[in-house]
Amino acid sequence: MISIQGISKEFREGITLKRVRALQSLDLKIPRGEVFGFLGPNGAGKSTTIKILMNLIYSDSGTAEIGGKDVRDPDARKVVGYLPENPFFYDYLTADELLWFGGRTSGMHSRIVKERSDFLIHKVNLENSRKRPLRTYSKGMLQRAGLALALIHDPDVVILDEPMSGLDPIGRKMLGDLLIELKGQGKTVFFSSHILNDIERFSDRAGIIIDGKLRLVDTLSNLLSDGKNLEAVFMREVAASVKGTS
Amino acid sequence: MTLWPLALITFKEGIRNKALYGITLIALMLFGATALIATMIPREVGKVSIDMALSTISFTGLLLVFFVGINLMAKDLDKRTIYTVLSRPISRSQYIFGKFLGMALLIIVTMSALSLMAMSAIVLLKATHAEYFGRFSWSLITLAILFNILMLILLSAISFFFASFTTSSFITLVLTIITYIIGQSISSVKALVESSPQEIGITVSPVTLKMVKAAYYLFPNLSLFDIKLQAAHALTVPSSFVMWTIVYGLVYIALAITLAALIFRKKEFP
Repeated sequence: MISIQGISKEFREGITLKRVRALQSLDLKIPRGEVFGFLGPNGAGKSTTIKILMNLIYSDSGTAEIGGKDVRDPDARKVVGYLPENPFFYDYLTADELLWFGGRTSGMHSRIVKERSDFLIHKVNLENSRKRPLRTYSKGMLQRAGLALALIHDPDVVILDEPMSGLDPIGRKMLGDLLIELKGQGKTVFFSSHILNDIERFSDRAGIIIDGKLRLVDTLSNLLSDGKNLEAVFMREVAASVKGTS
Repeated sequence: MTLWPLALITFKEGIRNKALYGITLIALMLFGATALIATMIPREVGKVSIDMALSTISFTGLLLVFFVGINLMAKDLDKRTIYTVLSRPISRSQYIFGKFLGMALLIIVTMSALSLMAMSAIVLLKATHAEYFGRFSWSLITLAILFNILMLILLSAISFFFASFTTSSFITLVLTIITYIIGQSISSVKALVESSPQEIGITVSPVTLKMVKAAYYLFPNLSLFDIKLQAAHALTVPSSFVMWTIVYGLVYIALAITLAALIFRKKEFP
């Protein structure tokens, strides 16, 4: 469902335009119906990978496809729901208007958008604030509104960038239940996190990215075999990365 | 289909902006001042009130474009609200077109409301000082307002063009203001340097002449859209001038927005 082949990306930073390599020849395939956890320390390249998938930035080389369509084709995003890290929305719009926008741009009929909005607003527990301007929302409420927006068109692929950040324990529980529900519906979920426990709880497969290199991809059952825990696996990969070994 | 939802949320975001309340308040105060000042010049009440009412519309329209319009797109880039839009099946070009459509709608609705206020002020003064409204034409006043709206949409299109490659809303604002100033005066400056300024003691070098000519063709001639004087004095405006000015405005808008969309296609949002 998601296919990334040989993606590399460099950024130029500072007044000297120093080159910073963000991704190096990244290859990754995520089949339909899989929940994939993308793990890595801050600045490892998780968000860069996701932004390339969402066509917010362009890769220097390689190709990325979602549902068989190149990510540079806007139609590829018809089947994708995306929640950015720290989402910001229009100050003076309400959650209802935000979802109307999401549904209509995805080609949904107004009546269906209304039904789906009611369902999702209830799901993310924003019933009492759905008519309020989004600028009055807390960080956690914005995250929940963003989640509803990502799911408004019932997408086959859901891409979540650090979805747990900013959520209180109730919000985390709600999101966890939602991930399990999406998995039950056969959706493909790609989510990034640096919280090991989240990856362990929800992923079928996980990838560890460090300094722009995908160092390890395996099923959770393999990663956690022989009584290992994800923290030990992750720390081993970080240490190997520092030493420069594969 | 994807343009309309984006245009509508852009319009809603703009019309609910608190800065718009401030602009409306300034307009109301200026319309009040129009009534006061016009009556101080008894024989010219008609001309002064029309000129001041139209000038108020122009001024508040500029505030709308500079302080609400530019922010509508700049905030998308600064706060990354653009992710909300580009994560939908919307291309970067469609983003520019949809956003511009919303901005044009905001200008049309806001300026129509302000124009109604201006016309009310004129109606009031005409009722109380009917004898000084001898030469008077509602159609010319309406045309002056329509030209002003077209000029504001053109200026907004130019701000979109600048926003497509600048990295900060402040630079976009400065470039748009500079364009407005040049656009308002370039026609007069060209006429001056092409006439015989040496007769009045001004020497124009060939380089200056070329630069002024280049600026004349590069920058929009915004003074074309200013027919306040003709409206105030109820002078005839040829229909060919009206037609060509509208065509000029629409072609310039289309060019600026198409260029903005082409540049924006390359832009990344890390």
